[in-house]
Amino acid sequence: MKKTSEKRLWILDILMLPAGIIAFFPFYMIIVNTFKTMQDAAKSPMALPSKWIFTNYIQVFEDTSVIRSFWNTLTITVCSVALIVLIGAMAAYPVVFNANRITRFAMLYLLAGFMIPFQATLIPLFQLMSDLHLIDKLYGLITLYTSGSVFVFFLMMGYMRTIPRELTEAAVIDGCSVWGIFWRIIFPLLKPITITSTIFQTMWIWNDFLAPMLFLNSASKSTLVLQIYKAKGEFTVNWPMFMTLTVITLVPIFIFFIVMQKHIVKGIAAGAVKG
Amino acid sequence: MIKFVRQLQFQLFLLPILAIYSLFTIYPLIKSFFLSFTNFDGYTKIYDFVGLKNYARIFVDDAITSAITYTLFFTFGKAILVTILAIPLALILDQKFLTRNIQRAIFFFPSIPSGLLLAYIWGFILAPIGSGILNTVLREVFNMGPQPWLSDPLLAKLSTIVVATWAVTGWHAVLYLAFLQSIPKDYYEAASIDGANRLQQIRFITIPLLAPAMTVSVMLLLTGGLKVFEIPFALTKGGPGYETYSITQVIVQRGISETQYGLASAMSFVFFLIVLTIAIFQVTVMQRREQDLQ
Repeated sequence: MKKTSEKRLWILDILMLPAGIIAFFPFYMIIVNTFKTMQDAAKSPMALPSKWIFTNYIQVFEDTSVIRSFWNTLTITVCSVALIVLIGAMAAYPVVFNANRITRFAMLYLLAGFMIPFQATLIPLFQLMSDLHLIDKLYGLITLYTSGSVFVFFLMMGYMRTIPRELTEAAVIDGCSVWGIFWRIIFPLLKPITITSTIFQTMWIWNDFLAPMLFLNSASKSTLVLQIYKAKGEFTVNWPMFMTLTVITLVPIFIFFIVMQKHIVKGIAAGAVKG
Repeated sequence: MIKFVRQLQFQLFLLPILAIYSLFTIYPLIKSFFLSFTNFDGYTKIYDFVGLKNYARIFVDDAITSAITYTLFFTFGKAILVTILAIPLALILDQKFLTRNIQRAIFFFPSIPSGLLLAYIWGFILAPIGSGILNTVLREVFNMGPQPWLSDPLLAKLSTIVVATWAVTGWHAVLYLAFLQSIPKDYYEAASIDGANRLQQIRFITIPLLAPAMTVSVMLLLTGGLKVFEIPFALTKGGPGYETYSITQVIVQRGISETQYGLASAMSFVFFLIVLTIAIFQVTVMQRREQDLQ
């Protein structure tokens, strides 16, 4: 019995090898080409470099404002996610701990937001952003992203329902205010769902292309994804340069992946099981 | 009085979300509906109501009809392909083998970076010219001429589906994996005592118990697929012609680039209805299927 199962698993390692190689190949391909000259990359794009060069990396940092874009992306993501989590958690508090007709109506009103795709509101949104002078401003984009707190609100609401009532009732008797209960008791208890929300919101805002493309124009305000988009036009023939820029922008994403992998998987599982 | 103050304090917590959501989501949606009946062009403040004219134009505008067709083709193609691949992948990654963790990471990682970036990477592989990496392989291994992966209408459509599938299959496998791990082991033990082999166990235990996971996964695939933009945009720019225009791209093109606000608003409202219909239909059908299977 033991022998057969061991044998079968050994076969799985071998069977899955080609699948893994194919899945990983695109990443291998761009990484390997960043160490090549243009000619070398054009001649043999898949082979290891005939001569390893590192000048592409130096040149990308010199020729593009990738560092600047990194800080812009970081600023937008951190501020948006912090606001989203805060606003979402705040909104869930009265709905769960002070349920009445008003909060129930508010909940249904927010629930509708799930079904409204960003694209369906795009045209008036563009006008609105320009009327409010929010175009080409980092804080403009942050404001826009914050309206996505509806999804976090629902995650928070689900989690908050598991917090025992007695906790807040005891606090009321002790003379704690509505405001104090939220900040001192509820919010600290939301840590697990805050982590999940932060990770998923970070992923989509960090990677978003449509909103930065529409609402940020000047090069100095570019996000990393937007920079990649612009570089595609600049480095049409210089593949190694473009690939180097891509690899550089993948580094923070890869670190995020390694550090957060467990939490991401947990988040998918939790969200899925509840759904 | 104290009670009233407490109520008020509670409601204050809802104020930020209601304000920002009303301003940036509900107001634009209503305005989009309103604009879809006008000939507003964004420049002049004067505009007329044109009734359903914009809606009629949707069906004669080549770019729009093509975008709707492509988006639906992409959405269903990707959803089917991902589902077919993610379930077996999850079953395999659930086994204990030596390279399991690295395989999980390899399949899962593409769901983390931006779709734009992934599509650009694939652009080098699928480049239709002879220097494209896939074409180089075909030439050297099979002595085949260059294939127009991104410039033939059908091949371009399929290429975008393949890239999108590669990007998200691992993510959906993780979702299935979570459900697989919640299936009690006694079910399998009972089945093997009754003489069911491994395939029968998968057919009669695993697949039915994965039905709720499938509902979630397919819903995410459909709603996500309809919103597709980055992958075809980065791979083909919507071409050849309008063949791989996504609905999002056509809304941006007609609305923001060409300032045909009325037409684009009508399109975006139709898009909203498509998303709504498919989501409701899918969830009802699949939940009924869950009940049938269990």
